[in-house]
Amino acid sequence: MSKTVETLTSYLSFRLGDELFAANVSKVLEILEIPMITKVPRSPAFMRGVVNLRGNVLPVIDTRTKFGLSMIDDTVNSCILVLNISLDGKDIIMGAIVDSVQEVLEIDQASIQALPSVGAKYNTEFIQGMLKLNDRFIMILDVDLVFTAEEVSLLENLSEERITTV
Amino acid sequence: MNDELIETFLAEAHELIVDLEKALLQLESDPANSEAISATFRAMHTLKGSAAMFGFQSVSEITHDIESIYQDIRDGRRNLDQQVLTITFQTLDHLRVALQQQIHTDPEFVSHHAALLSAIKGLLTSQNDLSAQDIPKALNGVCTYYINFEPHKNILKNGTNPLYLVDDLLVLGHGVCHPYIYELPDLASIEPDACYMGFELLLATDKSVPEIQSVFLFVEEQCKVEIIKLGESDKLRDISQTELPWNNRQDLLPVGVDAIQAFIKRTGVKQKLQKAVGTQSRGQKANNVRVSADQLDDLMNLVSELVTTQARLALFSNEHNSSELGSISENIEKITRRLRDNAFTMSLVPLDTIVVRFQRLINDLSKDLHKPIEFKAEGMDTKIDKSIIEKLTDPLLHIIRNSVDHGIERTETRITSGKSAKGTVLLKSYYSGANVLIEIHDDGGGIDLERVRQKAINKGLIDPQTSLTEQELIDLIFLPGFSTAAKVTDVSGRGVGMDVVRRNISDIRGEVLVRTKRNEGTVFTIKLPLTLSILDGILVKVGGTHFVLPLTSVAKCYEVETSQMESTYNQWITLEGKRTPFIYLRREFGVADQAPHLSQIINVPYNGTYVGLAVDRIEGEYQAVLKPLGYYYQQQQEFSGATILGNGTVALVLDANKLINKLTIEK
Repeated sequence: MSKTVETLTSYLSFRLGDELFAANVSKVLEILEIPMITKVPRSPAFMRGVVNLRGNVLPVIDTRTKFGLSMIDDTVNSCILVLNISLDGKDIIMGAIVDSVQEVLEIDQASIQALPSVGAKYNTEFIQGMLKLNDRFIMILDVDLVFTAEEVSLLENLSEERITTV
Repeated sequence: MNDELIETFLAEAHELIVDLEKALLQLESDPANSEAISATFRAMHTLKGSAAMFGFQSVSEITHDIESIYQDIRDGRRNLDQQVLTITFQTLDHLRVALQQQIHTDPEFVSHHAALLSAIKGLLTSQNDLSAQDIPKALNGVCTYYINFEPHKNILKNGTNPLYLVDDLLVLGHGVCHPYIYELPDLASIEPDACYMGFELLLATDKSVPEIQSVFLFVEEQCKVEIIKLGESDKLRDISQTELPWNNRQDLLPVGVDAIQAFIKRTGVKQKLQKAVGTQSRGQKANNVRVSADQLDDLMNLVSELVTTQARLALFSNEHNSSELGSISENIEKITRRLRDNAFTMSLVPLDTIVVRFQRLINDLSKDLHKPIEFKAEGMDTKIDKSIIEKLTDPLLHIIRNSVDHGIERTETRITSGKSAKGTVLLKSYYSGANVLIEIHDDGGGIDLERVRQKAINKGLIDPQTSLTEQELIDLIFLPGFSTAAKVTDVSGRGVGMDVVRRNISDIRGEVLVRTKRNEGTVFTIKLPLTLSILDGILVKVGGTHFVLPLTSVAKCYEVETSQMESTYNQWITLEGKRTPFIYLRREFGVADQAPHLSQIINVPYNGTYVGLAVDRIEGEYQAVLKPLGYYYQQQQEFSGATILGNGTVALVLDANKLINKLTIEK
């Protein structure tokens, strides 16, 4: 079944700060408004807490914090992507808070470019590739990896200049 | 090959092996039990057939010959001796291994397989011809009789008790007795010392009619006795006693031999019909449907969701004053509760599924340690959540092992202290409220508390000066690294001991209690919740967040002024004149908002003492449907899960012990 999933060519794009990212739609189960979140005490800073997803407990990650961006207050555009990620063959359902959801893109696999390994500002391990669209670059995330890695800083080199622009 | 089919085969095979083990254990104590012999034969036969179909060659090979042996035994061509039984037990263990698919190339397995196979073949060829008279005459000559025994009114005046006569009849074989009243005068004319009763009996016995009559030898003059033969075999085995004609009668009169005869004939026909319908309908199993555990878990999850949604509906309907909405909500509540109870009972399994293993363990230990032991089990139809049963087996095995090894004394010691040579281990289970209690009794020497004390001192676990109560001494055996066996045996006393048992049990939210008396024995009591998915607790609030604290870890609650806690520099507070360490949860959980003027301290039992947990407010009792927190919070062991409140928000379920543990280690 996982084979058919990987060949899907639709991607959901979303925004974190000024950057655009995309995830394969096969990984995205739904998009939620941010409900009341119960914070779990003594947990890592990037864990925002848990919410009630129709009777089940959904853990929610603050994607900005997880990626090493500065934390901001939620806006009306902020929402939770409910993702189905796999870890060692097991499915985990989790939520990721993003600044806003953009659109669903049909992407021809051939137009996805590899990330240049030298001089990239992103940690290439977590990026499947990038795509140029209307003069902007969209980073295609490997959601399975990026949300299960113990500590992730998506940014390779957190320079002072970078932080101020976000 | 289809994986799903193989899985079904494996599940069935394991069930067959359990049945087989049961039958064999029966045969061990009663080798002539014809039912157990045919059960063994049937199980071997089925295993052989399906194993061959699924390519488990080694299984079908080995069951083939065993099957022939049991066929001979069943047909009376050979006796079931100890040798056959031993080899069958070995085969059983071997079959368990053989059902693992990967094992077949393992050299050790192959050689063991060959050895066992030749041993079985040896049994087959050494088969001694049995002459007809050697066949156990288990059922030979048994006839069923109808006996009507009607004493005269004045029988009591001679000091004869008719009930003794009935007892005398029943020991001749086995049977049922139904008393009736043949004449009952008005209350005014009743004679208190007259007998107005008679007895109808159905008796299956190998004794002849004159032998039965001899029971009435001394009362021949004072009673009327009618003995009628109903048939040449034991009819009582075939009929269900609750269906006997006298059970449906409203009056107290005898039913008579004709009615009984008609009834037996009817059941005979019914049975033949059942046999004709097919072999699949074996007893009660006929009505069962096999459901995978995953599906059951799904059902449970859905029901839990329904329970939470229903709680929201109830809340909503309370807020909106509509009588129609109220009645709908109430109806849904009723249905939900029934559905919940129904679904929960489905995931319960009776304890007897694991008892066979204990029986086996005790038999083996009894042989190894040369201690004759009788194992009794009571209340094994008690049902517990299947996930609890899985985690219960090891602790129970450990306790039973301990009881046999340390508890039951050697035979000589038992005789000198005036006990029967045979020790007894009793496994007993029953419900108590929302809990299941499992007790393991042994009639051994009891725990030597003085030795426990010495040992604890030697190991540096306690100070020689401290005086401990009996209960505190007993509790020492649960300390890590404590083991009282003077010499390390193969069976127990390897240092992993009772502390592991207690931890495993508390993992499934249970408790272990011990009572012991010198020379009389020890009782281990395990107290378990009926299910793991619902938890009784109290709902508390710390800052803006709700938490559920399990009732099992709530001893007492106190109201204190918050300033009192904030001003202490050490974490101690005086409650009811007692200095108690406390944990200020607001501080530990990093809550920033304004603290209330008054706080609540909940005393939680911890390692034999109490620790206070300070919360802002206690909202009340709460029944929580437990949800796992999952992968992202696996480091947060202090929260055993979460639950969804009526208003749709999530509350976290606290594991008080782990929380205190974690906080004290961090400091």
